[in-house]
Amino acid sequence: MNSKLAALTLGGLALAAPAFAASASQKIIPYPYVQEDLPNGLRLVTVSTDFPNIVAVYIVVQAGSRNEIEPGHTGFAHLFEHLMFRGTEQFTAAKYNDMLQRMGASSNAYTSDDYTCFYTVFSKQDLPSVLEMEADRFQHLKYGEADFKTESLAVLGEYNKNSSSPFAQLEESLHDTAFTHSTYKHTAMGFLKDIQDMPNQYDYSLKFFDRYYRPEYTTILVAGEVRPKAVRQLVEKFWGEWKRGSYKPEIPSEPPQDGARTAHIDWNSPTLPILTIAFKAPAYSDSNRESAALDALAFLAFSPTSDLYQKLVVQEQKTLSLGAQHEDHVDPSLFQITARVKIADDMEYVRGQILETVKAFQDKPVDAARLESVKKHLRYSAALRMNSSDAIAASLAPYIALRRTPETMDRLYGQYAQLTPEDVQKAAAQYLVENSRTVVTLTPEGAK
Amino acid sequence: MRFAALLLALGSLASAQMRVIARPEKSPLVTFRIVFTTGATADPAAKPGLAYLTARMLVDGGTKDKTYRQITDELFPLAASLNAQVDKEMSTFYGATHVDNLDAYYGLLRDMLLNPGWRPDDFQRVKDEAINAIRAGLRSNDEELGKEVLYSNVYEGTPYGQYNGGTVSSLESITLDDLKSFYHSQYSQSHLIIGIAGGYPATFLDRVKKDFRSLPEGAGFRPRIQAPKLIENTRAIIVEKETRSVAYSIGFPISLTRRSPDYAAMLLVASYLGQHRMPYGVLFQQMREKRGLNYGDYAYIQYFPHGGFLMEPPSNLARHFEIFQIWVRPVEPPTAKFALRLAMYEIDKLVKDGIPEDAFERTRDFLSKYVNVLTQTRSAELGYAIDSLYFDKNDYVEAVKSDLAKLTREQVNTAIRRYLRTNKLVIVAVSRNGEALKQQLTSDDSSPMTYNSPKPAAILEEDKTVEKWPLNLDPANVTIIPAEKVFQ
Repeated sequence: MNSKLAALTLGGLALAAPAFAASASQKIIPYPYVQEDLPNGLRLVTVSTDFPNIVAVYIVVQAGSRNEIEPGHTGFAHLFEHLMFRGTEQFTAAKYNDMLQRMGASSNAYTSDDYTCFYTVFSKQDLPSVLEMEADRFQHLKYGEADFKTESLAVLGEYNKNSSSPFAQLEESLHDTAFTHSTYKHTAMGFLKDIQDMPNQYDYSLKFFDRYYRPEYTTILVAGEVRPKAVRQLVEKFWGEWKRGSYKPEIPSEPPQDGARTAHIDWNSPTLPILTIAFKAPAYSDSNRESAALDALAFLAFSPTSDLYQKLVVQEQKTLSLGAQHEDHVDPSLFQITARVKIADDMEYVRGQILETVKAFQDKPVDAARLESVKKHLRYSAALRMNSSDAIAASLAPYIALRRTPETMDRLYGQYAQLTPEDVQKAAAQYLVENSRTVVTLTPEGAK
Repeated sequence: MRFAALLLALGSLASAQMRVIARPEKSPLVTFRIVFTTGATADPAAKPGLAYLTARMLVDGGTKDKTYRQITDELFPLAASLNAQVDKEMSTFYGATHVDNLDAYYGLLRDMLLNPGWRPDDFQRVKDEAINAIRAGLRSNDEELGKEVLYSNVYEGTPYGQYNGGTVSSLESITLDDLKSFYHSQYSQSHLIIGIAGGYPATFLDRVKKDFRSLPEGAGFRPRIQAPKLIENTRAIIVEKETRSVAYSIGFPISLTRRSPDYAAMLLVASYLGQHRMPYGVLFQQMREKRGLNYGDYAYIQYFPHGGFLMEPPSNLARHFEIFQIWVRPVEPPTAKFALRLAMYEIDKLVKDGIPEDAFERTRDFLSKYVNVLTQTRSAELGYAIDSLYFDKNDYVEAVKSDLAKLTREQVNTAIRRYLRTNKLVIVAVSRNGEALKQQLTSDDSSPMTYNSPKPAAILEEDKTVEKWPLNLDPANVTIIPAEKVFQ
């Protein structure tokens, strides 16, 4: 092992062993990986898979819309995702594209509340070139004000293409209503007025790059038929000179919510009504079982196997869909239940049914056999998802974003394995409470 | 061209035997793709959506022995599902399981496909979902709506001319008996291609074949598919709804499938013009990167639904009549005319000048390697293998690579001149204020661009041509239809 690197080898076990889901001691990540830090703070995670030929490089920057703390600059993490494709002196945007194209690479990026992720999927012989090109743009990105202004219009175009979906507006309204201080008040796209003002914010964009595109915010994740040592040598060569930064954002905390909130959207074209009921949920943790319990609750109470889904969607057929989501976040976020209701007159009834269900889960522990079924579901769905090097990297990226290590995923699945019916009941009682509730309704104009 | 050479009586091509593609390997997973080579072309003219509803009923309803809830409850701990995709000539069922659960999963899959329960309450729910998929789903996605209107218009009057998901009124009138009769006449061994890959035991395949032999051997009547009609003049359909921007899909039919000798050349042309969701294409560079008109612009030589959600083209949408299409993602209304003109200008330039030598080589390199990315999952690999079998072609990846290796720039330019054009198009726009857009698009007025930043002289010079580019769209050939009437 290179003395400059603190390397940690962590292993997954072969999935082929029988009764994978029954054995909580088995690691959830089916391949061995090596995690190591460069002296500048850059982290490298190499997952050696047995899928032939194709390699996936995912670069996770721990800056998302959560980091947009200054008023008027929402949406900047996402804008920056776009700007990263505007080139450097060595690799102009045109040259960068030409090279990726010659490699037959599939390349793109996405931005979420907590992080920005750049990914490239390609044939393994091109790994040195990909790492070199990526290192260059992360260290030496250079774009002029004219290109900046043009790119800000592509972001507006992205907002426009999203905006025909009522769900996009529902999310905007929910976050704006549920949060007062947290940067989760805006979605990853940002407020429309800020997007429209982006062309005037060139100087701020340079500041954003200087703050966050730094090794201590960045993890390189390489998955494929690769040798960790060879990957590490390439990363040291191309990324070793990258300078550590010093910026630490003061991200505002959300004060406790002081009562139930509501919002309503009149949708200006025909659609089905939507009801969403959200509660404040704690920040992601795998050192206790709260996050795991809320994930399980979403399945137990609102998935297609739940009693409420069977009642509202299958038997009474009053709603077209019903589901809950609890996404892991760095800061406290939301546990969100959403129903697409067939007629507006049933909105109150569906709302009542959802709240009664919440109360039932608070009042008594869930059947242990049903909880076991959820645990199996969670483990098997992870195994089914990781069916290519690309899919493995894509599955790990959100965990890298949370804690900078794939071990996060194993830790969370370890907590799932330990869950008891009482854990789920306790989490429902503690978090799904009226004082922290926000209800947003959307109906076509004239329906309400 | 009237596609006369391509008129095929598909029924006669199908053998009475089911066909199987098996890819055993050491893996903890088992992947299924089960294709019936029947689909929306077999919908009776008055019942569009029947093939779609039938497939949905199989995957979202109970079996003879189990209710839908029992199936949901049994699939849930396996984290497995059976999904359906219905297109004109194929109905595809796909899913995967961990080998731990192969018996349990396969037992459910088998009964869902071979012993459906046909319960009226399941049918009511599935039908309602299908109706709302049009009313609340498709009509709330401007881009997908525009594409489907384009497809149905290009193929109007042929069995391809109906939306796969049907129409609201047709779905309302379809009965459970219609579904049963469709199932019994179309779900046959002669239409069946079973794809399976992964770590299944050696004896498993025989069990699967034996089970599926319970299907009837031969299929019932299916209408002969027809070539699309000639487009006499460029026409436009404006789908009117309250929306922020203008979403375009533009296209025309082409006599090109994976069987065609020109397939590799045209795959290269579409990639050069606008590789799906990638920044490499000319349209993306000219429209988004240089001018900031929108989020992206792409070109296709095939039917391609759900482009907003998919990074790669789906398989098992094999068709004998394909389309050339341009997808211009939503543009701000003041730039709507310029954007359309620019897309036409770029295609015209390609037809006149051909593909540049360096771009030809680069795009060929791209595709030769990208086909590996395209088929990196077992499901995709099986999907492409099934399509190849359907088209009686060799392995897709190897065929594309070897055809590309032999391809010359001259062949590509010949194919461009043969297949591409900027007249006799169908243009679909989803927009508010349809009348105003109609007036804009049909007038010869210049539509100059203004930018929020200085542009290089070459772009401004090019814009002078683009802003006056003739669209040759006669007001008589423009139809405005409210979104709520589309597929009603």
